[in-house]
Amino acid sequence: MLAMFAALIQELRFKRADKVYTLASGRVDMCLACHKEAPGKAHARGVVGCADCHLGDPLTVEKKRAHRGMVKNPGDLRVADQTCGRPECHPGYAERVKKSLMATNRGIITTLRYYWGEIEDFHAEASVETLMKTDETSPALDYFRKLCGTCHLWLPKEKLPGFLKKKGGGCVACHLIPGKNKDKKVHSILTRKIPLENCVRCHNRSGRIGLSYQGLYEDEQYGAPIEEGEFAAEELEDGRFVARIPPDVHFKAGMVCVDCHTQNETMGDGKAYAHFEESLEITCEACHEGTGRTRKGTLLTNLKVKDGKIYWQAKLSGKELEVKRPDPVACRHPVHRRLTCESCHDQRVPQCFGCHVRRDPREKQLDKLSFKETPGLWEEFRSYMRVEVPTLGVREDKVVILVPG
Amino acid sequence: MAWGLSASFLVAIVTGILLAYPFNESYPLLSTVGIENVVPFGRFFRRLHYWSGFFTLILLFYHAAETLVAEGYRRRDWARWLALCATLPLLILIAFTGYVARGDETGRFAGYIAESLVLKVPLLGSLLNACLFLVRESGVHRPYLFHFYASLALFFVSGIWHFRLRRLPLEDLLGWLLAPMILALVYPLGLHAPGPYLLIKGPWFFLGVQEALRYFPPVWAGILFPALGILLYVLVKMDSLRKWVFGGLLVWTGVYMFFMVYGLLR
Repeated sequence: MLAMFAALIQELRFKRADKVYTLASGRVDMCLACHKEAPGKAHARGVVGCADCHLGDPLTVEKKRAHRGMVKNPGDLRVADQTCGRPECHPGYAERVKKSLMATNRGIITTLRYYWGEIEDFHAEASVETLMKTDETSPALDYFRKLCGTCHLWLPKEKLPGFLKKKGGGCVACHLIPGKNKDKKVHSILTRKIPLENCVRCHNRSGRIGLSYQGLYEDEQYGAPIEEGEFAAEELEDGRFVARIPPDVHFKAGMVCVDCHTQNETMGDGKAYAHFEESLEITCEACHEGTGRTRKGTLLTNLKVKDGKIYWQAKLSGKELEVKRPDPVACRHPVHRRLTCESCHDQRVPQCFGCHVRRDPREKQLDKLSFKETPGLWEEFRSYMRVEVPTLGVREDKVVILVPG
Repeated sequence: MAWGLSASFLVAIVTGILLAYPFNESYPLLSTVGIENVVPFGRFFRRLHYWSGFFTLILLFYHAAETLVAEGYRRRDWARWLALCATLPLLILIAFTGYVARGDETGRFAGYIAESLVLKVPLLGSLLNACLFLVRESGVHRPYLFHFYASLALFFVSGIWHFRLRRLPLEDLLGWLLAPMILALVYPLGLHAPGPYLLIKGPWFFLGVQEALRYFPPVWAGILFPALGILLYVLVKMDSLRKWVFGGLLVWTGVYMFFMVYGLLR
C-alpha cells in the first residue's frame, strides 16, 4: 500500500508533457515541451532540436535527467564535433576551424617567440590548445598567456570577467548575435551574416584594422581631445578612447569583414598555416578586375558581372553594389606595376611608436589560458600614436604598406 | 524462487498488456516516449514492466542453476527436459525483443545486429528472421509481435503444463510485485536518444555476445558461442558426459560473464 501511495505521489508531482514533441524530421525532442526559445531561422525551433546543439537527453521531460550532459555553448571547440560539427549538420567544420589561425594563434605565438629569441624557426608548430593543456611557459609565452590569450576560439565563452566575457566561444564567437527581444530572456540568434562587431571584438589591436575600417582611431588616450570641458573621444568597451576619422569606402558602402574575407580564410581550409598572410586568399583584383576568384581559386559567389559592369551583393544587406574597376591610367601604368592597391588607396593607418612592455615579477596576473593568477605582471607602454600616411616597404618584390603597432 | 519467477512473469505480462494500449509499433520510439512523458502513470508501469521482466530473467537463471544443483534433470524424460531447456533461450529472446521494440538507439542497433546474426544460421536463418526480427524491412513489428505473443504463450503453456494450473500464492505475488515497484520508484529508466555515438551498448544480457563479436567472427561469437551454453545445459542430462559438461558449463559461464562485465565497463 505504501509503495502504491508513493507511486501516486510521484505521479502527482511529475509534470507531464501535453504531447510528444517532434521535429520536422520526425525525431523526438521533448525539450520543446518546456523551452519556448527560438535560435533564429537557420536553426529554427522545430527543425533543429535543442539537444541537437546542447546535447542532454531529449527523450524525457524530467529536468535533471534531460539536462544531464548538456552543454551551454554548443560552439565550444571542445564539443563542436558532437554539436555544430555533427555528421548531419556541419561535418568537417570543427576540424577545419581547429586548424585555423583564429583557433591556434600559431602566427602570434611563433612571431612573439621568434622575435624574442626563443625559437629559430619562424614556422614552428604552436597552438593555444596545447598551451591550455600544459603549463609550458617562457617569457614570450607568459606574455602571450597574460596579454594576448583572450583572442582565440578555444577561450570558453563568459569565462573571463568584464568585456573579455564576450570573447571566444568557438563557433559562436562569430556566428552568434543577441536575440531580438532584449527585455525577455531570449535565445541568441545564430547567423551566417557575421556583423562587424563580432570580428572587431578581437581584431581591434596591433594594426587596429577593425577600428580603422569603421572610421575609428585609437587616440592618445585620456579622452583627448577635450572639447568644452568634456571628453570628445568615444570610449570602447575596454576603456580605450577613440576619435572619429573617415571610414573605409567598403564600410561606407555597407560591407563588413565577411564580405571580403572568405570562409576558407576565417574558418580555415583544413591546412594548418603558420601565419596570416599564408591563409589570406582575398585580393582587391578578385572583385575590382572581375576575376571572381581568390588567389587560391575560391569562387566568389556574390560577385556578378552584368552588362559589362561588376556588382557585389553585400552579404548582410543583400544590396547589389557596383564595383569600381581599376583606373586604366593610374593602375595600369608601367611605373606602378610593383605597387599593391593599398599602397595608394590606404590614405591613413594608425601607427604606434615606441611600443614596449614591462614585467614586474613581484606582482601577479591572470593567465588567460590556465585561468589562474601566476607571478609576473605585464604592462604595455607606447611613446605616441599617430594616424597618418603609411610608410611603404617592399615585400616579395611588391610595394606594400607597413603598420607599426 | 520458482513461484517468484512465475509471479514476476505475471507482473511483467499484466504491465505489458497495459503498456500495449498506448504503444504503437508503427511509431515505437514516439509511443515509448509518450508512455514515459505523456501517459498518466505510463513511466511507472513501463519501469514496473522493465524490472519485473528483469527479475523474471534473473530468477529463470537462478531456477536453471537450482535445477542443476537439485539434479532436477533426473526426474524429467528427454522430451520434457528439452522443452524446459527451451524456455531459457525463449525467455532471453522475449526479453531481447522487448528491448528492440522500444525503438531507441539501443533497441534499433540491437535489432540490426540480431537480424544479421540470425541470417547467418544455416538453413533456418531466413525463417527465424521472419519470425523474430525483419527489422530492416518492417521496423519493430515482428519483434513486438514475438515479444507480446511469445510471453503470453510461454506463461500459459508453462502454467498449464509445468505448474499444472496451481494457484499462485498471494504472498509470493505481492512480494515479487513490491520488489520491482520499489525499483520503479527509485531507479529511472532512460531511453537512448539518436546521436553521433561511437559506442552503443545492447541489453545487459546481450553484452557478452556484443563483446565477443569484437574479437571473433559473427558465426562463432554470435551463434555458436551462445548456442554452446544452451547445448551444454541440455547435455547435463547425459550421465556419461555430465562431469565434462558441468566443467564446460562453468567455463562457458565464466567466459560469458567476463565478456559481459567487460562490455558493461566499456
